[in-house]
Amino acid sequence: MKARHHLRTIVTSAVAISLGLTTAACGSSGGNSSSGRARVTFSYLWTGNEAKALEGIIAEFNKSQDKITVVGVSSPDFQKQLASMSAAKGTFDISDNFGNGVGSWASKGILTPLDSYIQADHVDTGDFVPAAMNQMKYKGHTYSLPIAVHDFELLYNKTEFAAAGISAPPTTMEDLATDIAKLTKVDASGNITQLGLGNPDTGTTMTTLGYAFGGTWDGPDGATPSPDNPANIAAVEFYRQNIIDKYGAAKVAKFTAGWGQYMSAQDPFYTGKVAMIIDGEWQPVSIPTTNPSLQWAVANIPYPAAKPNLAGTTQLTASTLFIPTNAAHKAEAFEFMKYLTGAAGMAAFTKALGNLPARTSLLDSNTYASIPQFSMWLQNLKNPNVHALASQPYSQQYSSDLATAFKSVLDGSKTPQDAMASVAAGAKQYPSS
Amino acid sequence: MVKRQHAVRRRQSLRGLAFASPYLVGFAIFIAWPVAASAWYSLTDFNLFQPPHFVGLGNYRHMLHDKVFWKSLTNTVYLTVVGVPLGLALSLIGALILNHPVRGQPLYRALVYLPTIVPVVVSGYLWRWLMNPQYGYIDELLRLLHLPQPLWLDDPAWGKPAVLLVTLWTVGGMTVIFLAALRNVPKELYEAAAMDGAGPIARFWHVTWPMISPVTLFQVIVSTIAYLQVFTQPYLLAQTRLNTSSAGPENSMLSYSMYLFQNAFVYLKMGYASAMAWVLFLVTMAVTVSILLNAKRWVHDGSR
Repeated sequence: MKARHHLRTIVTSAVAISLGLTTAACGSSGGNSSSGRARVTFSYLWTGNEAKALEGIIAEFNKSQDKITVVGVSSPDFQKQLASMSAAKGTFDISDNFGNGVGSWASKGILTPLDSYIQADHVDTGDFVPAAMNQMKYKGHTYSLPIAVHDFELLYNKTEFAAAGISAPPTTMEDLATDIAKLTKVDASGNITQLGLGNPDTGTTMTTLGYAFGGTWDGPDGATPSPDNPANIAAVEFYRQNIIDKYGAAKVAKFTAGWGQYMSAQDPFYTGKVAMIIDGEWQPVSIPTTNPSLQWAVANIPYPAAKPNLAGTTQLTASTLFIPTNAAHKAEAFEFMKYLTGAAGMAAFTKALGNLPARTSLLDSNTYASIPQFSMWLQNLKNPNVHALASQPYSQQYSSDLATAFKSVLDGSKTPQDAMASVAAGAKQYPSS
Repeated sequence: MVKRQHAVRRRQSLRGLAFASPYLVGFAIFIAWPVAASAWYSLTDFNLFQPPHFVGLGNYRHMLHDKVFWKSLTNTVYLTVVGVPLGLALSLIGALILNHPVRGQPLYRALVYLPTIVPVVVSGYLWRWLMNPQYGYIDELLRLLHLPQPLWLDDPAWGKPAVLLVTLWTVGGMTVIFLAALRNVPKELYEAAAMDGAGPIARFWHVTWPMISPVTLFQVIVSTIAYLQVFTQPYLLAQTRLNTSSAGPENSMLSYSMYLFQNAFVYLKMGYASAMAWVLFLVTMAVTVSILLNAKRWVHDGSR
């Protein structure tokens, strides 16, 4: 009898401890701080210096508040982010994602629609760059707000240009082809020692070139994959003809395999192994700290000579903020979102990270004057030829399939026509809503 | 009296169940329930965030028309069919060599086993450097030998051999198991065979091979299952700068498990991924059963 009583005591205690721990764990997010303020957890994917800059802005927000305390958590793990959002009660109230992921998540009911908050607080969404704002919407509702945007321009090595006798950056695709040939060097055994045009990220380079040739990757309606658009094929064909066919897929692959890490001291553009790249506005912040001696400049991405109306074409990507549907403090999270995406918060954030502001009213701001050559990226956001990939339920799989197809052109195993046709065939099975 | 014995037995059974309950509850919650749930999800369209929508055998039918699914399956079959015999042969040869009484034998054994204790992520990244066509030691060695230097990770034809190379690097674990089996072969059998005039090759085929065949069967089954589920090595080798889901040129390194992972956690197609998991389970079961049935022909169980 005594033993049985003993056992019952142990079991009861164990259950009580377990329940206590579980309750404590569940209660660790979304609660109220001891000061009575609502505690908003901001889980962000940024790390390192970017996270440090963000923490400074969070501290500023907290100072200005007597109702909300934001706690920042650097968590660069997409899977963890998804896992948290799949539970009935999440571990964070606000987080960030890339613009072309909005549609996919919105279609799955992961994101809180922001329309009512935007209306109630009279947030002027008309000030956001239109291409970025389009990515924030799915089926007529707004699910995210952009905190920063990025566009892509042509960076070139001035020293290599001078050595090759090129006095100005290329303005047309025809000029670009000529300059690639002049800037590519091959040794006696046929090995490439310098490449005229590199591609820090094949997917971004190719899709940007597609826009520069007048193509679209999501059809005229902006919601249907169109990989086999003739201009897209022309863009991939341009890269193939001027680099892969000319110097050999195996030689190019061997050369690119020896490139150092992106944006490190061994980055091929920083070391002069690559004379031109199509890349984003973070480079003006990175280059002076990583390789201050690099003589470089930036120009608009060239356009086909026969289509001067395509001058200044670029691709835009966006960093966004969203509130998951399982957030505990949605209204408070939106208050913080409003602060971060407001003019002052956004300027501080984008300046610290070397990103472009998503607000058109900030494009002429002096805030960014100290970043060298930043104005090219900033001002080009005003160009009507700014394009962005759609944020649809299919976007993730589409990007993945395009990356595989581009790779097959680069390794010489497929023609651009065949590669894009295979993506188009696969796209017929993408989710529609 | 009988009633009392019955009560004691019942109490003992309950006590036994109580002691086993941590495992039983854990099994029910963390294994049995997820397995049953995945069977149900395989019949649904489920994205993790919205209620599953019943689609019957739709996911299974979709596999028939999914080219990437077949590519991943073909790649996995290739890795299994080539990797399992190659791994067995290498580990057995290694064990036979290490079984010879030579000076420093423990050191050699430790060296053979060493790669097995290196974390697979570390070795994966190490191999990426070794196979770099510009700076890698492997192509450098091939260059010295005047042999062609493949683009291991950039040529669709060499993606799978690269995965095999990395996987076979850890063959030391199998070698150690074979070594233990070789140690258990009775010396008298070799002596008797030698007295009957058997040479080294005859002794291997008529003494060693039959005597280690149960261990060989174990190794075949375990390595076959491991190859059918291979994930980490190709995932690491194919990884791109931006940490996106990549599977090498032409999806040449896309294993079945990688594609399953992509569907589940990148595209959030949990229903389709569950169906793929069940197909993998059934294929693994079928292969294992066929190996076991076939084993009667070549495994020496000691009773004959």
